[in-house]
Amino acid sequence: MSARAFRVQLDLTPPPIVRKISQRSLIFGVVFAIAVAVGVLVSHNGLDEFYQGYLLGYMCWLGVALGSMAILMIRHMTGGGWGTVIRRVLGAAMRTMPLLTILFIPLAVAAAQGHMYPWAMPFESIKDEHIREHLINQRFITQSYLNVTGFIIRAIIYFAIWNVLSILLSKWSKEADSPEGRDNGHRFRMLSAPGLILYAFSITFATIDWAMSLDPTWISTIYGLILLIGELLSAMCFAVVVERILVDYRPMSELLRSDFVLDHGKWMLTFIMLWAYFSFSQWLIIWAGNLPGEISFYLRRIHNGWGYIGLALAAFHFAVPFAMLLSRPFKQNIRKLVWLAIWLMLMCYLDLFWIISASFSVSLSINWAEIVVPIAIGGFWLWAYFRNLASLPLLPAYDPQSAEVLHPSHYIHV
Amino acid sequence: MNGEPIYGMMAEFDSAAALLEATKRTNQAGYRKIDAYSPFPVEGLAEAVGFHHDEVPLVVLIGGIIGGLTGYLMQYWMMAVDYPLNIGGRPPHSWPAFIVITFEMTILFAGISAVFGMLALNGLPMPYHPVFNVPRFAFASKDRFFLVVFSSDKRYDPVETRKFMEGLDPVSVAEVPS
Repeated sequence: MSARAFRVQLDLTPPPIVRKISQRSLIFGVVFAIAVAVGVLVSHNGLDEFYQGYLLGYMCWLGVALGSMAILMIRHMTGGGWGTVIRRVLGAAMRTMPLLTILFIPLAVAAAQGHMYPWAMPFESIKDEHIREHLINQRFITQSYLNVTGFIIRAIIYFAIWNVLSILLSKWSKEADSPEGRDNGHRFRMLSAPGLILYAFSITFATIDWAMSLDPTWISTIYGLILLIGELLSAMCFAVVVERILVDYRPMSELLRSDFVLDHGKWMLTFIMLWAYFSFSQWLIIWAGNLPGEISFYLRRIHNGWGYIGLALAAFHFAVPFAMLLSRPFKQNIRKLVWLAIWLMLMCYLDLFWIISASFSVSLSINWAEIVVPIAIGGFWLWAYFRNLASLPLLPAYDPQSAEVLHPSHYIHV
Repeated sequence: MNGEPIYGMMAEFDSAAALLEATKRTNQAGYRKIDAYSPFPVEGLAEAVGFHHDEVPLVVLIGGIIGGLTGYLMQYWMMAVDYPLNIGGRPPHSWPAFIVITFEMTILFAGISAVFGMLALNGLPMPYHPVFNVPRFAFASKDRFFLVVFSSDKRYDPVETRKFMEGLDPVSVAEVPS
């Protein structure tokens, strides 16, 4: 509509380091992709191991992108300088959605060719007796819901939802880069409220399809929420890592205040508490019920070494970070907080490893693909992420809410 | 000035920004025993009066730990020592079932510690406080902002301090009788 009566004179162009990291990440991605290809050819059971590692890595990086989109939508609903200052940091992650849509193809291929997912295999080739019997006796599971056609149609729906949300949110955000742009605050709110609900439902169904269905005999209704909160946590931690990189350079050095960092620390605390709450609720309810169909999930994950991973998660995904995040000076200091953020991202990986990979092996074991493939996907994802970050100013300067982040000296009146 | 003890010197301001600015200048001038009063929390004011940390978080932490231990040990004593019940064949000491109560007791004790710890450390309830001897101080809970330099401050001087505070551009300055 009308042009603003002021100009923002602070140069909001991202620093050159962003492009450099993008290029380095691509090299990383290519090198590790070659390693993956070699691994698939050399290893005895290469293709199966590849798919297992791929699912793990894909869920990790998808989580950062979707979690960033959800945090952005929370910010659009609540406002607040903490979210405005990292809008473009989160937005760049959200705009990797097209790449993640393409990266989903190997999982669709895995299902279509009868790899990894027991429900996609012919009954006689399912190794786990318990699962085979269950699927044979309850044929409606594979006939009505868990089949390749349904898997692919549902995936198309999830990606349609996520891509549309991402496209609209970033399109409206870009309009605030010029003084002529209109105030999209109302549209953001109108989209974000249903968007958050859609996200919660779509990710619940997606995690049922992609991860929970690895064991079609077992169901948990809180499962989607556990993975959802892991996505939000890893996204907030990733944003903290990126802001730590950016804070050494203008313009982020001018924008990031310690009270914003404090709020990011508080979000991390909130998310690990919610993660513990959801994870413990699932454990308590299944433990109290003690039903054969439900307890199998935990029997597998507390015996044969997997229990150590579970204990490590309780201690290092929750207890120790919780105690650290109680300290206000720690949360305010980006240079300290960043180390916990990196640590918690590793814990999010370990959490997914415990939830997903225990379905593949009765005793604790990690194969090459579960380390190499997540790094390879991460290389390509970070390449796209930092390219996105470099392509737009670091703040939508003419959004009225940016006034909370900018200093009066950053403006000139015209 | 009839020899009555004096509590301090009070200046009145009409905006939070003015109070914040005046508080910073008073602190810079070397006054240490000062306090500010406003109808709502003003960001940065606590730092400006030289308030660094308080003991409430420590009280809450101790309260929370005591609550958690009480909750867990209470259940342990009841379920495993005093009156063991066989519930679905589980061992008497079944920790997952104890966690919910332990958590609730932690929150309860921490919350109660926060309220009463805050009241105790603030010296509340306090039926008498000298600042209310200045009639205009009633506006501190409406739309006025006050800064007080206590007479216990080393640099306090009835004449000099009043002159200094009048230089802070206040709405009014008044001496606070004790």
